[in-house]
Amino acid sequence: MKYRNLLTMTAMTAVLATTAGSAMAQDKMMRVRINADIRSTDPGVNRDANSDAIVLHMVEGLVGYRDDASVAPLLAKSVDISEDGKTYTFKLRDGLKFSNGEALTSADVLSSWQRYVDPKTAWRCLKDVTGSGVANVTSVTAPDASTVVYTLEKPTALFLATLARTDCGGTGIYQKSSLGNDGKWVKPVGTGPFMLKEWRSGQYVELAANPNYVSPGGERTGYVGDKTPKIGAVRFMVIPDDAAAKAALYSGDIDVLADVNNADIDDMTKSGQLKVDKVAAMGLTGLLFQTRDPLLKDARIRKALLLSLDIPQITEALTNGQSAPSASVIPVPSPYSGAAEKQIPTRNIEEAKKLLAEAGYKGQPIKWLATKYYPSLFDSAVLVQAMAQEAGINIEVETLDWATLLDRYTTGNYSAMSFTYSARLDPSLSYDMVSGNKDKSPNKVWDNPDGLKLIAESTTITDEAKRQAIFDKLEGMIRADVPIIPLYSGTRIGAVRSDVEGYKTWPVGYARMWGVSFAPGK
Amino acid sequence: MHALWKYIGKRLLWTLPTLLIVAVMVFFLVRMIPGDPAQLILGDSASPEELANLRASLGLDQPVPLQFLYWLGNVVRGDLGHSISNGAPVLPLMLDRFQVSATIVLVAVGLATLIAIPAGLIAAWRQNGHVDVAIVAASTLLMSVPSFWLGLILLLIFGLNLGWLPVVGFVPFSEKPWTAITYVILPIVTLMLIEVGVLTRMMRASAIEILRLEYVMHARAKGLSERKVLLRHVLPNAFAPTWTMIGLVLGGLLGGIAVLETVFTLPGLGRLLVDAIFARDYPVVQGCLLFTALIYVIVNLIVDLCYPLFDPRVTAS
Repeated sequence: MKYRNLLTMTAMTAVLATTAGSAMAQDKMMRVRINADIRSTDPGVNRDANSDAIVLHMVEGLVGYRDDASVAPLLAKSVDISEDGKTYTFKLRDGLKFSNGEALTSADVLSSWQRYVDPKTAWRCLKDVTGSGVANVTSVTAPDASTVVYTLEKPTALFLATLARTDCGGTGIYQKSSLGNDGKWVKPVGTGPFMLKEWRSGQYVELAANPNYVSPGGERTGYVGDKTPKIGAVRFMVIPDDAAAKAALYSGDIDVLADVNNADIDDMTKSGQLKVDKVAAMGLTGLLFQTRDPLLKDARIRKALLLSLDIPQITEALTNGQSAPSASVIPVPSPYSGAAEKQIPTRNIEEAKKLLAEAGYKGQPIKWLATKYYPSLFDSAVLVQAMAQEAGINIEVETLDWATLLDRYTTGNYSAMSFTYSARLDPSLSYDMVSGNKDKSPNKVWDNPDGLKLIAESTTITDEAKRQAIFDKLEGMIRADVPIIPLYSGTRIGAVRSDVEGYKTWPVGYARMWGVSFAPGK
Repeated sequence: MHALWKYIGKRLLWTLPTLLIVAVMVFFLVRMIPGDPAQLILGDSASPEELANLRASLGLDQPVPLQFLYWLGNVVRGDLGHSISNGAPVLPLMLDRFQVSATIVLVAVGLATLIAIPAGLIAAWRQNGHVDVAIVAASTLLMSVPSFWLGLILLLIFGLNLGWLPVVGFVPFSEKPWTAITYVILPIVTLMLIEVGVLTRMMRASAIEILRLEYVMHARAKGLSERKVLLRHVLPNAFAPTWTMIGLVLGGLLGGIAVLETVFTLPGLGRLLVDAIFARDYPVVQGCLLFTALIYVIVNLIVDLCYPLFDPRVTAS
């Protein structure tokens, strides 16, 4: 009797397994992991990294980033900048079409822009293109169907970079049918290589190839160049658990894992089933100090902390040797990461002790905030605690969840913390990220009036050599003040099944599924 | 019959103050957790003005008691609000996710009950024998194993190594029934194995107590077969406490099996709640917890109402 039951169960399992196999074969589409559901499909509105990554498959802006974080035309075929640097004239490419087949004209650029700058839209980058933002746009006009003219209040080096920003949704141009009759967002009808097929909350976002996509030609790089889709559909699957995502990649339930953990790279490379590639990223993981803290307001104590640390060793441990140390707020892949930025401070315990003695430090505890949400932040706190102890610095680590840590960062309510910043693709933005008036923006770590003037100046200059000189000067100033100790700018590691062709990891890290295909015959 | 309806009415009426207390606690406790949903939406580059504007647009700039009254008023009208994260209405979102959790929990607990009842009964019948030791050891082991670990091991064996079942994903039963089954087999088996341990131990303990009672000795003395003694006299009386345990287990699990839903990538209520807590998505957290409390109360009411079926001494009056 029990053997009959066993046979029945085995037969049922076999039937189910066969069913699963055939179902999976029918669903031949590229499957990509995202670690959380998207927030919306509205470009640059109620967004996060996953939302940006998917939306930028469907909409395109006038300009976009290349792989090296420089900006190039996208929907525009040319960008002319007036001599005074205040007027930008964009000529649109010929024959552009939205995914619904309608032609794109300058009127669409205008209507998209008008919605972006309407405060009700809550566009992420509104503050950057209005008022005292980095690029105050005073007017936008469309002299003809293929020309758009932006006028700025004053010249800036950051206007095109701001339009291209991924968190701004690439200032993507969408057709009016993206909105309902009530003016509310429905779904993106853009010019990107894919269009929205289905968003199933908590499960997946499925995109289909855009049959009306018009390629500008040229090398596929960043968000520009030839973005012709080579697969019929791509499904971004929500898989929150890292272990499950890894298992899914090995089993073939997903094809692309764009965010591989440092610790997994060796196993994946050796597996023979996967292709792995990596590039230096443009984020920043570092240690922040509250310069208004009763103890840490003394720059000598902050400097002593810096001297107590072996930054290359910390970076090696935190990234499994996958990232190079970087003690600058300007990330390693940036073209502005020069000799001054590449210098790594040397550990000097004796000097640290001397500074502490001068500052009258007597072992008072320093509360150090960290989170296990990003394991590297917790690990960095533990390593810093151990290294600083050698110099006689007493650190107490307090672990918080990410939301609480972010709240303490925003309000400036901390003494010291391990923190990670998202990518900033221009050095001015990197400095702006950490610098500002603490009375107005308590989240800023560096409040140095001379530094702020230099940062403001860097946004108005387009000459690369002059900008580099400013950034080098800023580098010296911020290193002297030690409000922050950058550790590394990170590494982006992507892994794909061996039958996936054309996938490329890039510093921004978001998966890009145009130009990607399955190997013939697979 | 009249007494039964009166009892049901009274129990349902009692749920109202319970739910009100839950609503008050959930609303205020969630807001006491540090962290700001506006900050999480806007990220590390948000300016104070942007944060203030977003808080205002989400209604978070209002005094908390006022926010509570506004929310409670909407709840009474059946509107649990909209998710801060993605703007989706909370009630349909929750019901959609609950279907997934409920399917897995009901099937797993049902199967676990079918295995645990005979296993517990046999273990009690053969107390201290080899069979009993084996059953107790197995159920203790199953109770001790963390669900996420068991889930991952099953994933590795049946998903990765053997490749029989999909590792991630979910297909609704209404769309492709056979494919849907393949996606829920592993979570159901995992949950079933964990619950089998708990229910077997419970059934065994209550059956041992019953086996010691005089009427069982009397039944044996009058010559009834062991099968009849167990099925007619021991099982019905020993099942009542196990039934209470099943109710408690169901009530707890229907509120979400967040860990398993995360491991198996299932879009269930537990994962919705956990994601909402991390995102400080107040309307979703409040809605889920209120709904969970309601489910708990209803499941326990149903369990209590079924009690007279197993133990005639218990009546509505």
